[in-house]
Amino acid sequence: MNDRKQKVVIVPCSGIGKTYGTVSREAAYEVTEDMRPADTQLVALSLLVLGDEDARAAVAGNLVVTIDGCKLACATKMVKESGGTVAKDFAVLDAYRRHRQFKPQGIAELNEGGQKLAHVLAEEVIVVVDNLSGDGGKDA
Amino acid sequence: MPEFLEMTVDKFIFRVATDRYYSGEGVWAQAEGNRVRIGLSDFLQQRSGDIAFVEVKPEGTVLAFGDNVAMIETIKVAIDLHSPVAGRVIEVNPAMETTPEVINQDPYGEGWLTVIEAEDWSPTALACSTRRPILPWCRNRPRRR
Repeated sequence: MNDRKQKVVIVPCSGIGKTYGTVSREAAYEVTEDMRPADTQLVALSLLVLGDEDARAAVAGNLVVTIDGCKLACATKMVKESGGTVAKDFAVLDAYRRHRQFKPQGIAELNEGGQKLAHVLAEEVIVVVDNLSGDGGKDA
Repeated sequence: MPEFLEMTVDKFIFRVATDRYYSGEGVWAQAEGNRVRIGLSDFLQQRSGDIAFVEVKPEGTVLAFGDNVAMIETIKVAIDLHSPVAGRVIEVNPAMETTPEVINQDPYGEGWLTVIEAEDWSPTALACSTRRPILPWCRNRPRRR
């Protein structure tokens, strides 16, 4: 019996040079590095695109939460193509519609609105992570 | 169902509905008697990006030709759209409030913006173009940026 706890895999947008892609990655970093490091694992979309075996195995063997930067939804599509199950897909644009006061700007460095949007998005993601983890999953 | 002309520019395919007129900024206008329905052309919506918010002048607003009729905010830009016709706003698409992304999904159909009761609908007088001049306009526009 394998009692090792499964991690929730987080796959953000890989749109380098795009403001909304940057927001998705900042949210993903906040979830995986600060908020729920023990319950989550970050997988780079680019590795899935390149067919990296470890990345494909991670998404195929765990529940996945995707954070897409735009409606092309590359992260969600690529996880599905890699054999993964998307437990919940987030879109930065939808988050912005819910929090219009946080208008994201900037690319390499997000403005304050972008950072706040990434933070509220991360908070929405950890609610899902905690439900998927099944134990209320607080790391801190 | 309108018929469409299609044009490919680089990796983009733009559709132009042949049953309406177009203003110089890419707003389409379709007359139904003296009621003129307006919206964004496929070119304008693709060029602008995923739409986050749309604010349309409310019903009852009286517009002169060229007045701001709507503001759209996308992931790339916020732009004011100008009315291609003078008249009074008599209907606003309720989807603009709840699901503005319908503009990206169906710019010539469910993504219409508003209906204006026109004072004097005359497309040539109002500087609207038919489908024929709009094609080279679309073709040249991206390269002029």
